[in-house]
Amino acid sequence: MAATIYLDHAATSPLRPEVRDAMLPWLHGHGNPSSVHAAGRSARVALEHAREQVAAALGAGRGEIVFTSGGTEANNLAVLGRWRRARRGAVVCSAIEHSSVLGAARAAAADGAILTLLAVDEEGSVQPEALRDALQLGPAVVSVMWGNNEVGTLQPIDALGDLCREAGVCFHADAVQAVGRVPVRVDRSACDLLTVSAHKLGGPPGAGALFVRAGTRLEPLVHGGGQEHGLRAGTENLAAAVGLARAIELAVAEQASEALRLAALRDALAELITSAAPGTRINAAGAERLPHILSLSVPDADREALLVSLDLEGVAASAGSACRSGTIEPSHVLSAMGSHDPDMAVIRLSLGLTSTEDEVREAARRFAALIPRLRAHVLEASR
Amino acid sequence: MSRTPVVVAMSGGVDSSVAAARLVEQGERVIGVTMKTFCYTEQAGPTRTCCGLDGILDARRVCDTLGIPHHVFDMEEAFTRDVIDDFVSEYVAGRTPNPCVRCNSNTKIPDLLRRAQRLGAERIATGHYARIEQAAGGAPVLRRGLDPAKDQTYFLWGVPQHVLPHLRLPVGDLTKPEVRARARALGLSTADKPESQEICFVPSGDYGDFLRLRLGAAHPAVSAGDLVAADGEVVGRHAGYGRYTVGQRRGLGGGRGQPLYVLSVRPDRNEVVVGREEELYRDRVVLGGMNWIGVAVTTGQQVEVQLRYRAQPTAAAVEWVEDGRVALHLTEAQRAVTPGQSGVLYSGDRVLGGGRIQ
Repeated sequence: MAATIYLDHAATSPLRPEVRDAMLPWLHGHGNPSSVHAAGRSARVALEHAREQVAAALGAGRGEIVFTSGGTEANNLAVLGRWRRARRGAVVCSAIEHSSVLGAARAAAADGAILTLLAVDEEGSVQPEALRDALQLGPAVVSVMWGNNEVGTLQPIDALGDLCREAGVCFHADAVQAVGRVPVRVDRSACDLLTVSAHKLGGPPGAGALFVRAGTRLEPLVHGGGQEHGLRAGTENLAAAVGLARAIELAVAEQASEALRLAALRDALAELITSAAPGTRINAAGAERLPHILSLSVPDADREALLVSLDLEGVAASAGSACRSGTIEPSHVLSAMGSHDPDMAVIRLSLGLTSTEDEVREAARRFAALIPRLRAHVLEASR
Repeated sequence: MSRTPVVVAMSGGVDSSVAAARLVEQGERVIGVTMKTFCYTEQAGPTRTCCGLDGILDARRVCDTLGIPHHVFDMEEAFTRDVIDDFVSEYVAGRTPNPCVRCNSNTKIPDLLRRAQRLGAERIATGHYARIEQAAGGAPVLRRGLDPAKDQTYFLWGVPQHVLPHLRLPVGDLTKPEVRARARALGLSTADKPESQEICFVPSGDYGDFLRLRLGAAHPAVSAGDLVAADGEVVGRHAGYGRYTVGQRRGLGGGRGQPLYVLSVRPDRNEVVVGREEELYRDRVVLGGMNWIGVAVTTGQQVEVQLRYRAQPTAAAVEWVEDGRVALHLTEAQRAVTPGQSGVLYSGDRVLGGGRIQ
């Protein structure tokens, strides 16, 4: 079979060589950053350097970065940690959040929070008016993602953050997909908490961080030795932190040019596929979107058959979120947008650093070649 | 690539693992597929049976070893409708269903073919111990697996005619020990995996409990009623007619100084009819919902019929009766012929067809 074309960077992106090189020294063994001896001290220096790199990339202070085991833990710490600190009022998030935010919000609801899901419009955008209403509930935290992982919609983060700030409510933004793709600066936005992750940017999986604005109070979820400002106990994963820092530093430095390149590739891919498969809809086409995510609804095709056929043709793509067993679940994001159509196959193609124009052309060619067979079977089944 | 791929149903057990491996050895382009029948994510904690999440992960591991793709097909909706709902309604009707027959014949295998064709494949395979001969120009012939201890044709009599030409059964000519030996030789992680015994959606094996959950505790099928003798005399109480099957002795307590057996179930009156063991024997069986494997039998024809999985086949003469049903006149009366189970007709090792016992 011809070489596999990887179009699933929003799921995870290959480790960048520069990141691996930065991590390697810390995989060979080092001291515990909490130890007072020389080996411990050098580990501490490296850890704090990594923290400064992350802080600088986001426009944060170095005391405002908490390393975590990834985006999911950071989102849990933000939502549940904030709820457990406040223990009254509501937890507000958008209906199209990542499962780690929705799951943490449901856990808070089980613990007594009033769970409020903000509706989105047909482009997947949260309307500030909806948030204004929800703020009447006196929420402990409002959580809205910077850019959506399935359809790419960018949220009006500034407007939402300003509303929260006026109301004196803690605002969390999940920026896992957004950082390195669009400008994400905590010194120019009103968010109090912000989640980042390494492996979407060519960093290692199992590495993430939560920005916690000075003065924002959280209850830790993991108790123990008081590491990470008391918010995340446990000996620090130094290599992961170093990898995260290097990946974010590179991605933010390259962001402006890479965003232009990826958006052009994305639009070319969309153009090639929609002309080969007439009737194909670009989801959230009318919204400001992340440059690397393309969500398509293909008419008269079965989503399982489309995704599996693409895999067999050597195109790695994704359809909404996969459940633990590997079956393809209907997307809660498209449902919330009112765009779920059982007769259309939804597919997410996501680009990254290694994506090229040749890959995009070849992927579109393989995609187009599948369409007649998929349509024939769907039409046969409906007869 | 001249030939289309073969899609293999892989439960995560050793038989389907070796089925896939043999096709790979034959130079076929193989796609492994696990058919997910119900949602595991809602059941936190470890799962036990072959159909569980572990099965999916085991199948994925075997495919990785074999260097072939693996995908999961979600058939939860069809499985719930065609298999679980049917299982429950059969018990409610006073019969004892065999959900594995229904699943293989009506749901899994036809569904697998339909989905395989969407991927451009024209052949499907399973790890059943049965053999299929694809005759050029003629109808396929289905035969018992070579290992008499493992033969699974009892579960396959209902596979629709249009599916059979597409079906391959790569382990039908192997014995179970041979299958395990091949799996070990190939380093497949499932080589020594224990057999699954229970019905996959009732891992506890407690059907009564499952019916109570599905029907509600107030349903007569799971509510106490009378144990009656054939003459109508009440001889005791039972715990819900859905919990009893013909020939069952356990759970009836004593009675008239000799062991009692379930003779039949009367769902309309929530009665379980009991009697002596001799009364369990029948020499006439009527089958309905017939399916034929490339042949049709005629009245007067001598066949062998198997009335339970793992039962010995017994000689019988065929008689067509009304509504497309078939009556079988058994040469030797059989004990505990159970409505809802399958009656499968054979000529030697060839499967002729089958139906549900009425």
